[in-house]
Amino acid sequence: MCRKIKKRTDRVLIACLLVFLLFLTGCWSRRDLTEISIVAGIGLDRTEDGKIILTVQVVEPAAVQSTASGKGGSAQQKPVFAESYEGETVYDAVRGILSVVDKKMFFGSAQVLIIGERLAQDGIEEVLDYFIRDHDFDYEIYILVAKDTTPMEIFEMETDIDAIPSVYIYGTVDNTESRGTVKKTMLIDVIKEMSGNEKQFAIGSITKAGEMRVKTEGVAVFRDGKLAGWMDRYETRGYLFAMDKIKNAIINVPAGNGKIAMEIMRSKGKISVEFNNGELSALIVNVKVYANVGEYKGKGRLETPDSLYELEKALGEEIRKEITMAVEKTQKEYCSDIFGFGSYVRKYHPRYWKKAKRDWLAIFSELPVIVNVDAKAERVGIVMSPIE
Amino acid sequence: MVRRVKKPARIKTETRIPAHKYISSDSNLPVPSTVDEVKTRLSEIFSCCSDFIQREISCGKNRLIKIVVAYLNGFVDKRILNQDVIRPILDFLSNAAMNESMSISEQLKECVVVNNDIKEACNMQQAVDGIVSGEALIFIDGEETALVIGVKAPQGRPVKEPDTEISIRGAREGFVENLLTNTTLIRKRIKNPNLKLEMMQLGKQTKTDVCICYIKGIANEEIIGEVRRRLKKIDIDSVLDVGIIEQYISDSKFSLFPTVGNSEKCDKLAGKLLEGRIAIFCDGTPQVLTLPYLFIESIQNTDDYYDHAIFATVIRFLRLTALLLSTLLPGIYVALVSYHHAVIPFRLMIALAASRQGIPFSPFIEAILMIIAFELMREAGVRMPKPIGQSLSIVGAIVLGEASVAAGIASNLIVIIVSITAICSFVVPPLIRVIMLLRFTVLLAANLMGFLGIIILIVVVFAHLCRMRSFGVPYMAPFSPLTSADLKDSFVVVPIWAMVTRPGILRQEKAEGAKGTKRQEVMLNSDVQKD
Repeated sequence: MCRKIKKRTDRVLIACLLVFLLFLTGCWSRRDLTEISIVAGIGLDRTEDGKIILTVQVVEPAAVQSTASGKGGSAQQKPVFAESYEGETVYDAVRGILSVVDKKMFFGSAQVLIIGERLAQDGIEEVLDYFIRDHDFDYEIYILVAKDTTPMEIFEMETDIDAIPSVYIYGTVDNTESRGTVKKTMLIDVIKEMSGNEKQFAIGSITKAGEMRVKTEGVAVFRDGKLAGWMDRYETRGYLFAMDKIKNAIINVPAGNGKIAMEIMRSKGKISVEFNNGELSALIVNVKVYANVGEYKGKGRLETPDSLYELEKALGEEIRKEITMAVEKTQKEYCSDIFGFGSYVRKYHPRYWKKAKRDWLAIFSELPVIVNVDAKAERVGIVMSPIE
Repeated sequence: MVRRVKKPARIKTETRIPAHKYISSDSNLPVPSTVDEVKTRLSEIFSCCSDFIQREISCGKNRLIKIVVAYLNGFVDKRILNQDVIRPILDFLSNAAMNESMSISEQLKECVVVNNDIKEACNMQQAVDGIVSGEALIFIDGEETALVIGVKAPQGRPVKEPDTEISIRGAREGFVENLLTNTTLIRKRIKNPNLKLEMMQLGKQTKTDVCICYIKGIANEEIIGEVRRRLKKIDIDSVLDVGIIEQYISDSKFSLFPTVGNSEKCDKLAGKLLEGRIAIFCDGTPQVLTLPYLFIESIQNTDDYYDHAIFATVIRFLRLTALLLSTLLPGIYVALVSYHHAVIPFRLMIALAASRQGIPFSPFIEAILMIIAFELMREAGVRMPKPIGQSLSIVGAIVLGEASVAAGIASNLIVIIVSITAICSFVVPPLIRVIMLLRFTVLLAANLMGFLGIIILIVVVFAHLCRMRSFGVPYMAPFSPLTSADLKDSFVVVPIWAMVTRPGILRQEKAEGAKGTKRQEVMLNSDVQKD
């Protein structure tokens, strides 16, 4: 009898728990796919009088499908359209844009978030708040900073590579895995950096390359959440080597009067610091790379172990140069610790960090840099030496 | 408990009064002692039965002995009746080698009639029962009992491959409507006196022969007892199909999931019997019930055991996938399109949105309409003569597939989804109807609550499944309760040479646990040896 009652209460309890589950769900509202605007790209910029401009690139699914399937009539609908709206805040603009576009924006599908140069200079901290707070966003969306252009210009560009320009941009950022010249930055990365103490970080940059193309190369360096300057593709690569973000890259190594293109197959980068008598004495970057000979432009031989040894040394030197360039630029020009030496010190030398915290950037920018690159050449390919 | 449907029964009572009265009032009466009386009684009972034939023969050397032969025309084999029964009797009576110490009917039974199937009827009830079930009645004047001789003519269609269960490998023989043919087909496969066939009659009006079949020493005695008990409780007028018995004896009367299986294939049934299951044959039905029936049997097939185990395993997974897809796919589509846009990959989202563009219905209505259209087609196709069925499928394919999309009423994708759903539902035949209803429920849940609704529904259905029993055996065995030894024939099929033990779950006595099972096994083995 007693057990029976217990069983019944158990059942009621389980039923209640199941009902409570209903209130835990976030997505309540039912919206058909045809009732939303599928946003492919988001742009944010600032007007001269300090307002936020929101630019969205919205996909017209039917038009995309008809271009994909090759059908398509004479008066073809464009697969995407771009629309902008000025608002006091980001959210204001997000809702305000509905006065121009009929269907509610769905941001979960956005591929890229492009930040205008002016807004970046003023600081992206406050505008990103909306993106963190709202549930609609995909945290893995790529962030880029527009250099010498505006988000609106990029989104209005027509490209023949993909029906949806945002997808094309996404693709160019994604393929940095085989070139290592732009930093793949996700919204979640920026959010993490911003909530840390240092607020110094780098975001990949995007420029226009002709009428129908964009180029994603280099990074924008931020100090205290504001744009401090740019780094070119070599410096970016040095930075990525140090941050252990290089998957694959091509390094040109001078050899005689020609060049050898080395393909980096694996790379391991690590930063640390050196102490001397209780004082910070140097910044250290250790990189170990394994590379294959990809191309030999010029005349020379690679038959002996010695020649390979020379090649390794030269490769190491090239990489060392790039890294040093990157570190020194951030130290001297931008005064921004994007490498995270500060975090390293805080983590491993907390006692020193306590007193150095306040004027860390000043200390950082004065320190000498030691870069150690250990390069290994693994394979030379089918031919030992160039064809004569 | 066997529930009786009360209302129809009461209505029937009035109509069946005359027939009922005869049988109940005469049941205890002995057979009248004179031929004339017997003849009058029989013609009273079989009045207005044009197929009833009774004939009086008088013969004998010293004194004339009157005999009555009564049978139903067309039901008995007249050649056998004449050659093996009447002729010897006539010869015997005319030649007067009579033994005075025995009654004539006893002598006939012992040493005259050639036919083996011969019984004595002590009262009118038995006599009439014999006649209506196709036996011939022979009454000799002055005797107390009548002889009932089985001279039934073989009837019905020949044994052929069943249309409902087609298999690539394995026997092509299927059961027929004749009970004796069916039991013979099983005997042919299991040549063992331990194969028991318990005969009984069900249905007050129809007196249908029903047979419980099992292998003694393999089947669980308790389950056999339970089957007998449940069958005895059935109190109805007619058993026209084994499906009626199924409804009376199944455990969860309100559950949609089947707890009694059925098969038309002899080799499948033999396999089930050898696993320790019990079969119920019913005269007039080619389907044979098997029980206990567990969920896992829905995705098992005889072909699985006749081919390489790897293929069987892969196909089991396919069947399981088909089962899930067929139930969930339309629901998942509706949930994705209406609620969870964020989980759809970007390209797919565009494709989905493009296919939905300009459709006037919500995804839910769209899906429901298409599924109903398909179910209608299926239902129409099942009952239709084959030549018309073809034109139906053409109409269905063109109207549903092409025209509705071209007219902008349904999206391309829903047509694909409904087609996949339909194909998948045919992969698991025993569950087709359950899946159909579940599919609608899933759709509704998805429309109301998205994935959450689907999950809640899945939890509820699984809770229901795990609670169910088939003749005391947990329906979800071997998964719940987990019987690791029985997993050999679940989602994974081990090779037949490694499948050495019978399903343990069927052997369980009241107390669960390996100990009891083992002891029982030993006991039964020794029994078998003694036999």
